[in-house]
Amino acid sequence: MSSDSLSATFAALADPTRRAILARLISGETSVTKLAEPFRMSLPAISKHLKVLERAGLIARGREAQWRPSRLEAGRLKEVADWLEHYRRFWDESFDRLDAHLRELQAQQKQRHRKQTREKIHVRTKKHF
Amino acid sequence: MSEQRSTSESQPAKPELVITRIFDAPRELVWQAWTDPEQLVKWWGPKNFTAPVAKIDLRVGGKYLNCMRSPEGQDYWTTGIYREVVPLERLVYTDSFADADGNVVPASHYGMGEDFPFEMRVTITFEDVDGKTKMTLQHVGLPESMSDMTGTGWNESFDKLAESLK
Repeated sequence: MSSDSLSATFAALADPTRRAILARLISGETSVTKLAEPFRMSLPAISKHLKVLERAGLIARGREAQWRPSRLEAGRLKEVADWLEHYRRFWDESFDRLDAHLRELQAQQKQRHRKQTREKIHVRTKKHF
Repeated sequence: MSEQRSTSESQPAKPELVITRIFDAPRELVWQAWTDPEQLVKWWGPKNFTAPVAKIDLRVGGKYLNCMRSPEGQDYWTTGIYREVVPLERLVYTDSFADADGNVVPASHYGMGEDFPFEMRVTITFEDVDGKTKMTLQHVGLPESMSDMTGTGWNESFDKLAESLK
């Protein structure tokens, strides 16, 4: 998939109605009429959304002229999910290391500070005698 | 371990990755860890990776070039331009794969899918929370024109969908 078609996928996914349609399709093939039910939208408006989803490769539609059931095309969605997953892992593991680095840095600073304090006390004690 | 370790896509309405972490360290230290190359190489990259090179020209329009090395010895170079530099508060930069000379290359150069966008954008914000630092990272992999898209409910639907595909 080129980055252009990935953009088309993201654009299709950017609309809340289309995401809701996709969420409904998780449970299986559904007709346009059924898909339109929960929305206050005309059938042509829903059909328009379906066209966008189909062009983005997110759904496939049946051939029957009357019914044209829509179903999810999992492949494209999985590519988007994989893309996010790759970076989630990169950052999560980097930040685990950043956390360790910051702890070590502060431990070193504390140690240095303690040493300096000890030296000061030592000097003061020496002066005393 | 950090105090809070959450990976959430809370408010965003577009496909993006948002990671929030609280580090038990003052903001200055966390900022330096991001912007001082000597420190960046100590944590940049996943577990068991190393970072042999980090070059940072920290100013708006300045370039960076980082290299991370996998346990198998494969080098991954990334480059980009700093778009916003607000010390201790905010860092915004573009993110692309590169070769060792800093030229942008497609992700397929590293054997990754064609679906990786050419240029991504990373935004990091740093906040003081009782002496600790709350850091929020937003990673958006969309062309500029698309990053302004608005809408709601993206995440629930998307999480549900991603879950159903596992």
